[in-house]
Amino acid sequence: MSTKKTTHFGYKEVDKEAKASMVADVFHSVASRYDLMNDLMSAGIHRIWKRFTIELSGVRKGNAVLDIAGGTGDLAAKFSRIVGPEGRVVLADINASMLQVGRDKLLDTGHQGNIEFVQADAQFLPFPDNTFDCITIAFGLRNVTEKEIALKDMLRVLKPGGRLLVLEFSKPQSEVLSKAYDTYSFRVLPLMGRLVANDADSYQYLAESIRMHPDQETLKEMMEDAGFHGVEFHNMTGGIVALHRGLKA
Amino acid sequence: MAAAIDPALHTAGLAAAEAAINRALDLAPASAAALASLQDKVFALHCTAPQVDVYLQPTDGHIRLMGRYDGPVTTSIRGQASDFAQLATTNDPAAALINGELALHGDSAPLIELQGILAHLDVDWEAPLVDALGDVAGHQLAQVLRGVFNWGRQASTGLARQVEEFIHEEARLCPPKLELEDFYRDVQELQMQVDRLASRAQRLRKRLRERAART
Repeated sequence: MSTKKTTHFGYKEVDKEAKASMVADVFHSVASRYDLMNDLMSAGIHRIWKRFTIELSGVRKGNAVLDIAGGTGDLAAKFSRIVGPEGRVVLADINASMLQVGRDKLLDTGHQGNIEFVQADAQFLPFPDNTFDCITIAFGLRNVTEKEIALKDMLRVLKPGGRLLVLEFSKPQSEVLSKAYDTYSFRVLPLMGRLVANDADSYQYLAESIRMHPDQETLKEMMEDAGFHGVEFHNMTGGIVALHRGLKA
Repeated sequence: MAAAIDPALHTAGLAAAEAAINRALDLAPASAAALASLQDKVFALHCTAPQVDVYLQPTDGHIRLMGRYDGPVTTSIRGQASDFAQLATTNDPAAALINGELALHGDSAPLIELQGILAHLDVDWEAPLVDALGDVAGHQLAQVLRGVFNWGRQASTGLARQVEEFIHEEARLCPPKLELEDFYRDVQELQMQVDRLASRAQRLRKRLRERAART
């Protein structure tokens, strides 16, 4: 655990205590248009990344699944169908607005009975040890203040043999793609945010927070340091996004 | 570890194929109901050329396609794309599995059942047409389409039969299937007789060598 008193919020260095509320403000601001913006920004490809995450999760009927930073419930909806009535899916998010949007969306689309909604901080998960067969965190880890603490707590609540999947923006593997991606992130994204969500700052933060997030190898080491075994990662769309998977021994 | 093919591409292809199959199943209620007997079985299709793995799982009247699956599979088949295409379109999947180039592990019966369901999808075009065009126009267009499809099916069956007859009977380019099977049986019998004769000759030679050694 780091003893530093500050952490990054995009490119800014801020007090650790302040980051959670600053991130919360971002997501309160974008919650209502989160799905629309995701579709626009990724041209719908985020659904493919999430689909691959579900394939690699190996979740079966009757499993208990925790979707941290589950936002508007894309993964939770799929898991709910896969685990069936004898399984359990917990959609957790630190942000009340995102959780509310996710809860409404899932209930409106008939997903109920095996889904619970929990407002929780990824660093201090309110669950007993060895509870879940699988934990996913999609596009959420970079917003967590102390990633090391969060990874250790995820390990704690996983059952032995359970899997953690971290889907997150990462480092493009080619220079050309990297340059194009930079232009897109810092020119197009904030413009899109201003036009569609009337909120350019939040999307500026999105682009900056992606650049500050650990790259593929660093995150792999962080997961190993937290105690995960057999950690591997899969680059998707040229490394713009990476899916890391680790097991609890 | 990074995969050789970008998983996003593979997954996107599977998502598109899955959507198309499930749309067809939505329009073929009898086929969707027939899938219930295969609920949650997993079929692994390992294509060697091009190298692609697909896992297929019937679930709730739909088909789920996956690029990766860690659990136990009901049936696993390995072969080239052309072998899979042949299996998908044949009227006799059991014969295709026995005589073809596909390597099969596990239970073949569910696979044959699945092939039967997917190869004989009876798509009802009327429902979506009525939704889009209204009762009268939708029904009439569906009838026309049904007539066209039936005619097409009959025409293709008739054409296949006539081509087969021409090749076997008129042009005599290749023998009929039964004649060929008879020929193979004769060849097999001849091979066995030759093997037996060779074995007798070997025994006789051995006996002659022993007798020569004694004298």
